[in-house]
Amino acid sequence: MTHPIEAEGLVRRFGDIVAVAGVDLVVEQGEIFGFLGPNGAGKSTLVRMLATLLRPTAGRARVAGYDVETEAGAVRRSIGVALQDAAIDPLMTGRELVRLQAVLHGIGRGEADRRGDVLLARVGLTGAADRRVGTYSGGMRRRLDLALALVHEPTVLFLDEPTTGLDPTSRLALWDEVRRLNTEGTTVFLTTQYLEEADELAGRIAIIDGGTIVREGAPDVLKNDVGAHTLVVTVAPESEAHVRAVLLAFGEERAAKPGSVAIGLTGGPAALSGALRALDDAGVVVEHVELDAPSLDDVFADATGRRLEGAAAGEGAVEEPA
Amino acid sequence: MTVVVADPHEARIGSREAFNQARGLARRSIRGTLRQPQVWLPGLLFPMFIAAVNTSTMGKAIHFAPGFEGVPSLLAFLLPASITQSVLFGGLTAGSDTALDIQTGFFDRLLASPVSRTSILVGRLAGASATGAIQAVVFIVVYGIFGVRVAAGVPGMLLLVVFAMVLAIVIGGFAAMLALRTGSAEAVQNVFPLTFISLFISSAFFPTEAMTGAYQWIAERNPITWMIDGMRHQVIDGLDWSEGLTSIAIAVVLAVLAVYGANRALRTRLRRAS
Repeated sequence: MTHPIEAEGLVRRFGDIVAVAGVDLVVEQGEIFGFLGPNGAGKSTLVRMLATLLRPTAGRARVAGYDVETEAGAVRRSIGVALQDAAIDPLMTGRELVRLQAVLHGIGRGEADRRGDVLLARVGLTGAADRRVGTYSGGMRRRLDLALALVHEPTVLFLDEPTTGLDPTSRLALWDEVRRLNTEGTTVFLTTQYLEEADELAGRIAIIDGGTIVREGAPDVLKNDVGAHTLVVTVAPESEAHVRAVLLAFGEERAAKPGSVAIGLTGGPAALSGALRALDDAGVVVEHVELDAPSLDDVFADATGRRLEGAAAGEGAVEEPA
Repeated sequence: MTVVVADPHEARIGSREAFNQARGLARRSIRGTLRQPQVWLPGLLFPMFIAAVNTSTMGKAIHFAPGFEGVPSLLAFLLPASITQSVLFGGLTAGSDTALDIQTGFFDRLLASPVSRTSILVGRLAGASATGAIQAVVFIVVYGIFGVRVAAGVPGMLLLVVFAMVLAIVIGGFAAMLALRTGSAEAVQNVFPLTFISLFISSAFFPTEAMTGAYQWIAERNPITWMIDGMRHQVIDGLDWSEGLTSIAIAVVLAVLAVYGANRALRTRLRRAS
């Protein structure tokens, strides 16, 4: 049986820049697969290749059982795509756009109207369906974008950073909708730079950095693999080296934000009191202490040596030419 | 029946489906234009303003200047020019809207759907053409209110409308080509002065007999002169199929070139993604 998404050695170069450097991937039927990484890691480039918008430089990929290069038309009929920027014509109404999207997929007017009504109700836009999209909020646009991606009832749904820029309420509403779609059998490929989003939604995730997948698996398994809890101590800059020297007795150092020292506590939470006592004995004035259970950020840090949370566009971030 | 498209990236799409897609995209194009009065209103008002100024300042020139023999009024003389000028405005909108679709990512939305790539272009140009027809009708009606009668009657008016539709495809096609090559609405807008220079160095506002030197030489060889003169016959002298169809044939030739260029630009843009 074929998988909804399969990629083998997928590469995409833009001149000398390698945006995706040999990705192997299998997404199982009916799962939400999270693709996590910082800006410029290659997430959107990979989605664009899988959605037939960009040809791979090397490698192969099949989506919904079809080759993305030689059977692109069949792929397009099988997938729904909501790209990063929610590019929606602001001069059209929500209902007109749903109808247009249906026509582009070869759906007749009557059926398009029926599906449109259902989808607009589903994403909570019935009341705004006849308003021009230019008057919609960011959250409403994203919800309409989702409805547009679903109008032809795709078997595989690509969501490229669907909640970027949304307020928390809109984000939660979109998560609920993605979960609901998934329970109805739609396979969802979701890219995100939000750890919480990947943790909440995805059954399995892949972490991409510099165009390469550096970790892949179920979030809980990946977090357990990182092992120990992380003790993060914030101190004055001149005390950082001293603190590091004291805490290395309790575990290995981990990547931390500037101004902090992070240690993977070998003894787990039970070792916390000993570590704090050692800092006190060393005369260190601590500004802030936290003990974190392993998170996806730890997984990312473990794999790349950098923190994802709060990171700006990474070095070597790749932007596609216009 | 299926249409086999050259781009291997494209699926086989039935001709009926491709037609429906083009119709849907044309409808979007027309709606988009009509919903932006700031886009279409200047295209109507500016030519009318120029015609009003010319009529007020040079209205009596038709009685003594060369080339105006048999012209009942300067406004009648200017009707084909005003339609052409207005269509130049509108046609460029087709290009800048295409560029905006590229800039905003809507173009990618289209490409990610199983739409015939040809329908994307046909839809846009059909929308421009329909807008051109509306513009021609508006000018015939408004100038009619001010006493201009199309001597060729209803067939002459139909020729004017058809001419405007084909001319819109010409301008829209060239503008879309530029948009697809550059992806920049600004680049399309920057072409605007060039189109107006070509209009002014033609018989649009003065008969070529009234011109001198290099200006006259260029104007007599400007295809816009040939097209406008043919249409002017219908307004001033009466129905002349030969003149009318010659004008439209020139426009059709230019339209074929424009659509060919736009289609090449579209294929190039699609290939660039490979």
